[in-house]
Amino acid sequence: MTTVLRVVLILMSLLVGVVMLRKIRHSKAQIEDAMFWMFFSLLLILFSVFPKAATWLSKLVGTMSTANFIFLLIIFLLLVKSFSMSMRISQLETRVKELVQRIAMEDHELKKRVSFEEKEETDQRIEKRDEE
Amino acid sequence: MMSDVLVIIPAYNEEENIERVVGNLAEHYPEFDYVVVNDGSKDQTAEICRKNNYNLLDLPVNLGLAGGFQAGLKYAWKNHYPYAVQFDGDGQHRPEYIGAMREKMDEGYDIVIGSRFVAEKKPRSMRMLGSNLIAMAIRMTTGVKIKDPTSGMRMFSRKMIEEFALSLNYGPEPDTVSYLIKQGAKVAEVQVVMDERIAGVSYLNPVNAAKYMSKMLFSILLIQNFRKRDKRFKRKAGGNEG
Repeated sequence: MTTVLRVVLILMSLLVGVVMLRKIRHSKAQIEDAMFWMFFSLLLILFSVFPKAATWLSKLVGTMSTANFIFLLIIFLLLVKSFSMSMRISQLETRVKELVQRIAMEDHELKKRVSFEEKEETDQRIEKRDEE
Repeated sequence: MMSDVLVIIPAYNEEENIERVVGNLAEHYPEFDYVVVNDGSKDQTAEICRKNNYNLLDLPVNLGLAGGFQAGLKYAWKNHYPYAVQFDGDGQHRPEYIGAMREKMDEGYDIVIGSRFVAEKKPRSMRMLGSNLIAMAIRMTTGVKIKDPTSGMRMFSRKMIEEFALSLNYGPEPDTVSYLIKQGAKVAEVQVVMDERIAGVSYLNPVNAAKYMSKMLFSILLIQNFRKRDKRFKRKAGGNEG
């Protein structure tokens, strides 16, 4: 890895870490979500500071150069993240659907009850009037 | 008459336990109000509660413990309860200790933890190793010794109820407790005895436990130190008035 690449990785990782901590600080993100990005940037910083570890892993995996290994790692982590996000969005959409349907159902029940009560009231009033 | 303590019982798939737990509470401890929060259970939990006419908050989808408990706290906040206590739906917690925790609150604490290890010694096990690590992390960041940080039996004061009910990242977990201690909240522990869960399965297998531990440690040691507290809670919260 060239020094420039290492410096760029470290700077970008620090930026990501700082941005995530700021989001937590101002209650704009959930801690669970921030954690992935913190780990992600921490890992990149570690590999940039100790490139020998990355080189060793690169040889083990069989990538042509250390930089290639770093790219592969980033792609892999982002793939995993995007997969888990896709699953989460699916679940969220299902939940929203359930909630909207349930609210509509309960709203309908409520209106039915209210209109039933109103009708009873009017009936009673008419009866009273007729009696008079 | 309204009780001054609301017992919040989050329940997720607790059909085997809920009747025993709530029945015992309602029958032998009528001095406490309670609310069962059914967290979108897939089993008969809600039906059992409705059949027995339990006071029930029925969440239409599963939110997880943090979201379910927060729903209970919102109920407590809306109904003006001065105290609320977190109480497991699986029968681990014993209601006989709620009174003692309530009394401790009178000494001016914000949170009282029903602790297994105030007078008793901690047994040596993998689980307790985790508990020790979390206790150590809290001590390192706040200087305060919490002997049973992972106890799920916690009582909250009115101002804590408000803060938990209205904000983000306030899960009922040790990292939130650690953060609040750092912010000046006063926390005490009261000795309690807990039972093993009688029926059903706990989600705490070794893999989940390890995940939970590393999440808590990372959160307590790093993330919580960067959090900023909302101004409206700063003024009111404990320790800062004097």
